[in-house]
Amino acid sequence: MALKLETDTISRKKIHGSSIIYVPSGKYLKYATFGCSSLLADLVYLWAIQYYSDESITDRFQHLDHIFSIISELDPRYSDPYDVGALIAAYEAGDLGLSLKILDKGLENIPDQWFFPYTAGHYAQFIKKDPALAQEYYKKAMAIKGAPDVIRRLYADAIFKAMDYERALQTWLEIFETAKEDRIKKIASNHIYQVKAAMDIQNIKQAIEKFKKRFGHLPMDLSQLLKAGFLNTLPKDLDGKDYLYDSQTGEVKMPTIPWKR
Amino acid sequence: MKIKAIALNTFKEAIRDRILYLLLFFAAVCIIFSRILALLTVGDRVKIIKDVGLTSLSLFGALMAILMGVGLVYKEIDKKTLYTLLVKPIHRYQFLLGKYFGLVLTLFIMLSLMSLIFLAVIFFHTFRVEWQILLAILYIFLELCLITSVALLFSCFSTPILSSLFSLSFYLIGHVSWGLETLIKKLRPGTGKTLAQLLYHFVPDLENFNFKMEIVHKLPIPPKIFLFSTLYGIFYTLFVLTLAVLIFRKRDFI
Repeated sequence: MALKLETDTISRKKIHGSSIIYVPSGKYLKYATFGCSSLLADLVYLWAIQYYSDESITDRFQHLDHIFSIISELDPRYSDPYDVGALIAAYEAGDLGLSLKILDKGLENIPDQWFFPYTAGHYAQFIKKDPALAQEYYKKAMAIKGAPDVIRRLYADAIFKAMDYERALQTWLEIFETAKEDRIKKIASNHIYQVKAAMDIQNIKQAIEKFKKRFGHLPMDLSQLLKAGFLNTLPKDLDGKDYLYDSQTGEVKMPTIPWKR
Repeated sequence: MKIKAIALNTFKEAIRDRILYLLLFFAAVCIIFSRILALLTVGDRVKIIKDVGLTSLSLFGALMAILMGVGLVYKEIDKKTLYTLLVKPIHRYQFLLGKYFGLVLTLFIMLSLMSLIFLAVIFFHTFRVEWQILLAILYIFLELCLITSVALLFSCFSTPILSSLFSLSFYLIGHVSWGLETLIKKLRPGTGKTLAQLLYHFVPDLENFNFKMEIVHKLPIPPKIFLFSTLYGIFYTLFVLTLAVLIFRKRDFI
């Protein structure tokens, strides 16, 4: 026992992850599992959780793809590693491409799992700030049986963020008409307000630009745009209120915050 | 009646063997440890418990079948107790089948005990009884019956050490033989491919009894596979037992 304690005090150089990073792909490793590939996938996953929790290993993200692909090849239907692997890739490794790759693999192996394209859409929208890509993923998620209604609302929001206002308005109107709960109707109504306001503000700003080009200064108020013929009618918000105009800066704003209607 | 008598006697003898309880102890430790191991995961803990549990049942059950099975006939020959049995009016096949069924009964008891521990661990985690797991356990038992017959076969003509190696190889080959299908696809048509195909059909495929993945992930299993897997198990066991009987009948003990 004394010898053991003494040996433990001697520091030895370790190659972190050496037990797994040189392992061949899961496709070939499966042959060596003798029918226990699911258990080996569990053990590799448990090991990976401990490995990626160790912040002292500075290059731990180098083999992220390899390690999580081993798990997916050993047990393609094991859903937790896809979620966790994508989470680590997105938030800790900062590799969104890898994160989406892991989630795509998850969807390929477990086609009835809506959570993967939903998570991918979430990462595309809020981390990558790519609403067009987010739309694609949300659309895939919506097509899977059992997907919650919230994904449709996220899809509509992604269309709005991509500034496709016509389609966003149409989608929110569909959500409003098909909503069974008052809460959802209220949410859809607020978004419809927001989309219409964005469309109106876009038109007003275009008219202001034309006015400025013609007359060399910003209009004093929005009625001048009517008189100058740059607008046929003065748009109002869904509640019938006028949009707020700042003649100093040319900014146009909604009179009400949509969520406080 | 004679087979039954030998079977019961074999059972009484086998159930007293300490190796069984040692393996049962380690199986129980593994199953209970899975509950602690599951705490390390992020996500579904029950999956870890089920995977470890089912693998423990399969692995320790196979070890019991091999370690007990290889000594079944050899011990009788070595201790010369076989001679007193063979002079009695019993056929050699009755002796062999009695030994086989005695060990199968022992394995059934041991597997039942391990299964109870396993189901209890799952119950204390989920507060639900997962009846589908019994299906996976049933096919593990069928696999063990086949492995026992193989161990018995080797026990008829070989020493315990060699019989253990052969039986263990049978178990390992049985779980890897599905890989031959991949090899056949990659081979060009010719003698090599034909040989591989013959080998594929002859070599045991123990994956036919492996429903762990489907049960753990709650995947649908075609009902037809249950019937064909059961028939495969029964016929392969009968084939191996027939071989064992033929070898044992020809064997000269003097």
